[in-house]
Amino acid sequence: MMRRAHLTACVTLLLTAGMGVAQSQAGEWVSYRDAYRAMVLFDKYGGPKNLLQHQLQVLPREKGMLGQGVQLLIKGSTVQTSLALDATGRTTLPLLKAAYDENAVLSPSRPLGGFTVRPRTTLALRADGAYDDAELRAACEQALGFARYADNAARARQCIGVRLVFSRQGEQAGVRVRASGAEQALPLARGAAFSGDIDDDFPVVTYRFGPAAGELITYNAPLAIVPLFE
Amino acid sequence: MKQFFVLALAAASTAASAQTPATNPMPDGSRDMYAGVGAVSRPRYEGADSTKVSALPVLQVQWSNGLFISGMSAGMHLSNRPTVEYGPLLSVHPSRDESGSGRIVDGVGVSSAPSLLPLAERLMRANRLAGMEDIGARLEGGFFFHYYLAPEWRLTSSVLYGAGRERDGARMELGVQRLALQVAPQHTLALNAGVTIVNPDYNRAYFGVSEADAWNSGNPVYRPGGGIKDVRVGARWNWALNPSWMLVTNVQATRLVGSVRNSPLVERPTNVTVSAAFAYRF
Repeated sequence: MMRRAHLTACVTLLLTAGMGVAQSQAGEWVSYRDAYRAMVLFDKYGGPKNLLQHQLQVLPREKGMLGQGVQLLIKGSTVQTSLALDATGRTTLPLLKAAYDENAVLSPSRPLGGFTVRPRTTLALRADGAYDDAELRAACEQALGFARYADNAARARQCIGVRLVFSRQGEQAGVRVRASGAEQALPLARGAAFSGDIDDDFPVVTYRFGPAAGELITYNAPLAIVPLFE
Repeated sequence: MKQFFVLALAAASTAASAQTPATNPMPDGSRDMYAGVGAVSRPRYEGADSTKVSALPVLQVQWSNGLFISGMSAGMHLSNRPTVEYGPLLSVHPSRDESGSGRIVDGVGVSSAPSLLPLAERLMRANRLAGMEDIGARLEGGFFFHYYLAPEWRLTSSVLYGAGRERDGARMELGVQRLALQVAPQHTLALNAGVTIVNPDYNRAYFGVSEADAWNSGNPVYRPGGGIKDVRVGARWNWALNPSWMLVTNVQATRLVGSVRNSPLVERPTNVTVSAAFAYRF
């Protein structure tokens, strides 16, 4: 008798959950609470971080799905917000208690065919486009400090440089190093903004820290300056 | 960062092992709660050859101050660092009686001298716990300490004291977990392996046979020592059906080892527990 009751309860639950599945689009949402957990870590970090920015990146399962105009929506019972994504899929996630308590979801403004989200730490951009070598090193060290705080596996890593990521369209991606009165252009390549990203055709310039200190001049604003660890 | 997308959802009744969910930072005054029900197939008792299927309540609550309830355990996260978790832990150790089979209990209970039964008749009896003194549910106290080798790899440990008839049984669980292996969108797989080390009092309570027990049950007297009690491997599959509902499936294989392995109460050293439950996220 008890077993029959258990079975009935399980079947009822299964049907209830099945209806839920039918109503939701598989892979087209992410729990706000889970994203919040990842993002709040940076807020709670007590180390130096004034040269950094921490954002949430939307990663579609397939390449090329992040076209222009895609937004990330926060949908709760009372909270409804849309967040603009940059070309790399990043946005600043507001840490909202109401959205957390309502178990809100994050979903794209148009179908992406499934996506995940990931926290990304990058260097803060400067309005004048000039980055002193010492400042880049300090920012990279700040990013490494945070990475070590969040991940024990990062303890053995060292800062080796930065990657400047530019928009695919529009203005040219030019970066020059100014040292001892001379300027030298850094080679441009195609690659992913962040290691492991499926979109790997961004114009990128890699600057590796060397013994000679200089100044990095960007003639167009990069999308992101990514710290490189090795 | 994957650790933060892991739900260490505990199955309330599937195992005696203490459950400690990953730390869960949230806004002050908030909480994250899962509750649900499902079914579990598990050995009738540790070392039993027979299995039983029963309802499986699922409960996990975490509060912003670090307190948590996870299955049969409750505790508090005291660490401020994301790579280390530690804190006090309370756990309810399940009771053990002749159950599962009341008739057998009743039948054995009225026997004045079961040890004098013919051997063949004793072997025919399906329940080796028949005649053994019951052990009530016990509240154990202790602490846990977890260390993240990397965000997806967690070393776990816990020490609990208070199990057994005399409440003097102690157990230490050591384990390693591979968290949040995303096999498909909304599907995550977590793997774990571990070992349980206990003191002699624990083993004597749950796997020993005292002279009185021997007289009442027909089992030979047995006094196991302490040491490694079992080794285990398991997998947990979480399927987020929608933002609120989740299907949690657990499979765990446990092998009794050491002096426990030779206990007259142990019918088979390897047991498998399988459970599935729906949980609602509040």
